[in-house]
Amino acid sequence: MQYMLMIHESEDAYSGDDGAAVMEATLAGHMKLIEKLNADGVEFSGNRLREAHTATTLRYEGAGKAAVHDGPFAETHEELGGYYIVEAADLDAAIEWARMIPIPGKGAVEIRPVWPDEDM
Amino acid sequence: MSETSRSLASAINDARPRVVAALAVHCRSLDLAEDAFAESATKCLQQATLPDSVAAWLMTTSKRWIVDTIRRQQTEVRVIEDAERTADMSAELLKFPEPIEDERLRLIFICCHPAIATETRVALALKVICGLPVAEIARVFLTSETTMFQRITRAKRKVAEAGISFELPPRQAWGERLEAVLLTLELGFTVAYQDAGGERSQIDGANAGDEVARLAALVAELMPQESEALGLAALIYLAKSRLPARIDGEGAMVPLSEQDPNLWDYAAIEQARVWLDSAVSIGYTGPYQIMASIQLTHARRGFGQVTDWDAIIRLYDALIKLRPGPIVSLNRAVALSKVNGAQAGLNALEEIDLTKLQTALPYHVARADLLAQLGRLDEARIAYTHALDLDPPGAERLLLERKRVSLGLG
Repeated sequence: MQYMLMIHESEDAYSGDDGAAVMEATLAGHMKLIEKLNADGVEFSGNRLREAHTATTLRYEGAGKAAVHDGPFAETHEELGGYYIVEAADLDAAIEWARMIPIPGKGAVEIRPVWPDEDM
Repeated sequence: MSETSRSLASAINDARPRVVAALAVHCRSLDLAEDAFAESATKCLQQATLPDSVAAWLMTTSKRWIVDTIRRQQTEVRVIEDAERTADMSAELLKFPEPIEDERLRLIFICCHPAIATETRVALALKVICGLPVAEIARVFLTSETTMFQRITRAKRKVAEAGISFELPPRQAWGERLEAVLLTLELGFTVAYQDAGGERSQIDGANAGDEVARLAALVAELMPQESEALGLAALIYLAKSRLPARIDGEGAMVPLSEQDPNLWDYAAIEQARVWLDSAVSIGYTGPYQIMASIQLTHARRGFGQVTDWDAIIRLYDALIKLRPGPIVSLNRAVALSKVNGAQAGLNALEEIDLTKLQTALPYHVARADLLAQLGRLDEARIAYTHALDLDPPGAERLLLERKRVSLGLG
């Protein structure tokens, strides 16, 4: 099964005096995870997203009419900062990969199964 | 119901966890396993002669039903592959009634997976493992049958669609998963037993508390090396041992200290003691073990001894370190009042963080009892009224109303 691991993290973690160091440590954590995924031969993809202030949202109030808004779709303390899609045998295996994602400060990793092609 | 069909019904019930587990693991579907078991149980009850092994008969019949059902559906390749796997189920599965421990353990791990909402796990386990009707589970959790049905359906969809594993997790992952299993059982136990009169959960002799106790015993039996699994099973059995003494002739709850020990179930107490002894020999002491030890200390009254409140206070001190919380502090304050008097108990009670206790029934009851002992009757009366306003279950309501009346009109 494929799982999407959505990384919700607080951008503030990277903005303090030690912001650069935190960023360096987080990136190192991601590199370690990617090395492990490669070493285990796991099919995966993923990307880091630009900060939430760059987000633009199409908001639908019904009837198919969209209004363009500046900002992410929900105002929260944690923003979607990136994602992985990994191939995993089951939820527990996906959770294990998700645990390896570095989260500085508060945050969350949401794990969602990708809808398989044959059931669309 | 005749004696034979009653014993057949109970044999079917006993076989259920093992058979449903084996079916679910092999066809990778809780729904199919449950439906197959229900079908074959109905057929089994209609048999003219009793099968030699009820479990083996149910297993064979269920397997056949699953294969037929899937052939009829023939929709998805993946499911058909599962059907082939089901048809391939090796002869070893038919060697009932030898326990296939892993299958039952797997089913418990599936139903109690931490990815399922805490309050739904116990409902799912009661439904799938114990076969309790949704209507009864709903009654235990004080919710409507429709809501409970939706919750269980959602949980089953989560298991199927999120890819919750049907494999036994590796042993090193048991620790974390076991915590979820034990929490599930504790929650089920708390909900089922706080309803002392059983008025909200009892139908046709099936009682959710008994089923939770069966599950806890099963987990203790399957994981004898886990001291907390033994501790929780002991705790639940000690609560179970007092059920016959918990309600008086008028249907009112009887507090532990006033219960007639002659009514206690000594087989359950003995089983709890055996589990606690094994837990002690493992060498790790966790909160369930301490909670069970507190209850076992209370049980000594049944062996002609007086309650050792000093020992109970020391156990609460240990529990507060491992699992701090306002209710633990509250119980410690009550124990303290037995040794140092009601005023000392009340002082300890006032030191607890009240924000978390204002809506807690035990807080108002304990406070009212202590105030009454101190002769502060007006305040006691108000505290009992606060407690009654929190809508306690019927048996406790009767007890509290009686206590309030005994204070006089003021």
